[in-house]
Parts: sequence; C-alpha cells; structure tokens
Amino acid sequence: MTEVTPIKMPNLEGKRLSFALAEDRVAHYPEFRDFFVRTFDLDRKGLSEPGFVHTPSGGVYAFIFIGRSGAPFPTGLEIYAVVDALEPIDGDLLDRDLWSILRWMIGGIGAPWTVEDLDRTGRLYRVPATSSP
Amino acid sequence: MLKYGDSSLSLWSVRSIFVAASAPMREQAVGPVEGTVTIQSDSVLPATLRDRWPYAPRYANVNGWRMHYVDEGEGEPVVLLHGNPTWGFLYRDMIAPLVSAGRRVIVPDMIGFGLSEKPTREQAHCLDGHTANLTALMRQLDLTRITLVCHDWGGPTGLSFAMSNPARVRALTIMSTWAWPMPPAEFHTRIFPWRMMHAPLIGPYLLGNHRALAGRGVYLSVVDRERFADTAQAAYETVLPDPATRLLTWVWPRWIPLDENARAFERFKWLEQELSSSKLPALIIWGREDEVFDAATFASRFKRLLPHAEGPHLVTGRHFLQEDSAPEIARLIGSFLDRLDANGGKQ
Repeated sequence: MTEVTPIKMPNLEGKRLSFALAEDRVAHYPEFRDFFVRTFDLDRKGLSEPGFVHTPSGGVYAFIFIGRSGAPFPTGLEIYAVVDALEPIDGDLLDRDLWSILRWMIGGIGAPWTVEDLDRTGRLYRVPATSSP
Repeated sequence: MLKYGDSSLSLWSVRSIFVAASAPMREQAVGPVEGTVTIQSDSVLPATLRDRWPYAPRYANVNGWRMHYVDEGEGEPVVLLHGNPTWGFLYRDMIAPLVSAGRRVIVPDMIGFGLSEKPTREQAHCLDGHTANLTALMRQLDLTRITLVCHDWGGPTGLSFAMSNPARVRALTIMSTWAWPMPPAEFHTRIFPWRMMHAPLIGPYLLGNHRALAGRGVYLSVVDRERFADTAQAAYETVLPDPATRLLTWVWPRWIPLDENARAFERFKWLEQELSSSKLPALIIWGREDEVFDAATFASRFKRLLPHAEGPHLVTGRHFLQEDSAPEIARLIGSFLDRLDANGGKQ
C-alpha cells in the first residue's frame, strides 16, 4: 500500500489512541473542512464514530472530529496513532506518517492546493520527512 | 505558587526572582513572588543568553492572563511591542540606550509568547483580546504620555490601543507592520509558502511540531544570519520549547484578513480610519532589506496615513530589523523624543 487510505474502524482491543496532532480551526480554509466531511461522510455520521486511515508505513490513525456550538461541524480535529496499549510511539515514524497524511489531505482538497507546494514548504522549513524516500 | 521542588529551578531564576522582589515595585505591578509563576518560563534561557537579558522579570495579571514584562529606568514611558514569534528579547539592545537617554522603558511579552502565559487553545486568541491585554497592562501601570514602539503584530494591537486610549499616548513609532484591512502584502495571498504554512493541520505540524517560524522563519528574516544564529536564535526557540507553546505562531497568521469576510476586517478598517485622522507625533522606521513588508509599499502607506510623521528612516534589516540595527533604531527614537521635548511635544 503506497497511499493513505480511509479504513473501517479496526479492532481496538489491546490498543490505545496516542495523541499526534490537533487542529482547532479546520474550516480556516473551508475547503479543508469540506474534504473531511466528504471523505468520512460526516454529514451523515456526525459524531457517531471516528474516522480511520491506514498509512503507507502500516500505521493506523484515528481522526476524532470536534464540534462547537454555532459553527458547521466539524470545527476541529484531533489525530491519534492507534498503537499497542503499553508500547511507546516511534517519534520519527509518527512524523513521517503525519507528513503522509498531510500530503494525502492536500491531494484530496485539490487545486489551488497542491502536494508540490506542500513539499516545497516542507523543504523550505527543512522538515525531515520531506527528505524521506 | 512557586514550585521550589521543581528540579528545573535554576540559580538564575532564583536570582532574578530575588532581584524582582527586592526592586522598587511600580504601583500595581505584580511581582513574581505574589502570583502564580511557571518556573519553566524563567529557567529555560541558556546561560549564554542570560547576560544579554539581565532585566528583572515582572508579572501582571492582564485580562485574565499572566503577562511578563520588564520595566527599566525613570522618565516618560517608552513601550516596546514585539510581534510573531518573538518576545521582549527582540529589544534587548534598545533598552539600555533608551534608559540612558532618560526614558522609562517597558517591554511586555505578548500573551502566548516569551515569558508570558501561553494559552493552549486557538480560541483563546483574538486580535481585540490582545489589544485588551495591552490596555490592561497600561492601565495597571497607570501610564500616560506613552511612546509606543510597534513592530509586526505589535502594530495592530499597539495602534488599536493608541487609537482607543489617545489620552495616554504621546507618540508612535512604527516599524515593519500594517494597519489596513486588505492583505498586507501580495506575499500573504500566496499559497506557497504563506497560506500553506499555517493551513489547517499543516500549521500545527510545521509551526508547532517543527517550529518553522520560531526557528528558521526568524533566521530567514534577518540580514546577518550568522550572527543571529550565534547570538540570538536560541533565545527565541527556547521560550517556545514544545509544540503547544508555539500555538500563537500559527494562529496570528490566520488573523491576517484576506477578504472582506475575514474576522479582523472591520477592526483593521476602523484602525486605518482612526489613524488617518490621528495627529499623534509619529516616527516611521523600516528595514531596507524587508522583502515581505517592503518599505516602498508599507512605509510609504504609513506616511500617507500619517503625513506629519517623521521618516521613513531606512536601516539595515529585514522584517526583524531590531536584530540588525537596534542601536541605530534606539538613537532614532531617542532623538525623535528629544525633539518632541524641545518643541513642547509638537512635531
């Protein structure tokens, strides 16, 4: 598997959700919110369950969507790595997985947002994941 | 409450707190021993930087937040305001010359930066709230005849304070900032790198996890990068040690209006209108090498808004011009104030 792929809720027995990244304002640019609504069918599912994705490294991540009174759902988003309950995370692997997720997100949002511009921005600020194979 | 059992409590912290507690207290200023103090904030400066920031830390509860500031010298107050992602350290080489020139120099750290409290939720930050934070400090210190020195987000916040509290303000100094509603520069409308850098999830990742702005961002925005890396960069990075402490570095960019529906559009519209009728004496100083807030566009626009202003004076500097030209900027401000004194406050 070479792409980030949405998956159904995995078996979470013996696992924990390890916090990875949070966004308080997912609709700062509305097309970002639209992407998550579309990808995880949020207009229908609402808060009933998290979204899950599988990354190229084999990792599984949960997307917990957050609502705020008076604003379209979701307003925020937390990303968690699904890991073995008592095992620490691999920070480098987590960082590369998050970068993969961001590239997948930008690709899904589409023009004028491009993966090429994301990669250029990452290289400008010397993000290690941009030099990963 | 002081955490004396905290293993990170350094000798420097103890010394600074002792100095602050034993120094003459300004009226209503809250010393660090009287309020809640996060020792982490006071102990993170590397030893090599402590000599460059020898000022007694002071704390005030402003608008519900713990604000750090320094307050040095005697005389009419000069308030030095920083922006994103810096803190009072940006003015380290301007404090002593201004104090020597007979001014009282007050340098607050914006809530969310420096040694001030750092809220952990984006919704804790808004433009008007930051102006209210500054207003609270100015009122607690009961400052009048203030000369405000505004840089970056210290511009919209400081100038909003000045326009809403004109009786407390004597003069303005404006550096590398803006005060009008439409995008400040073409740069801010571009996806690469500006809008991408602080986009949803990407902002927390790049600017939070990878401190893109507090680290490399400032480095790229000075002229003498080697000197900056050797003498100053650590001071900006170490006070924002963890992703959560860097929240405001990606929140402020999101407050720049890009269209008429933006949250701050009306506030900037008001600010531009108020400034256009302001008669406060003003001084404009700009970095000659500033590519983002370029002098030809921005300093000139401020000059049109405040035609009576002195300047623009161009100095060596990109956006963080204080890093390259602090002594010259201090001299410009000092001589500007001396002329005001000599002319009975008139420009």
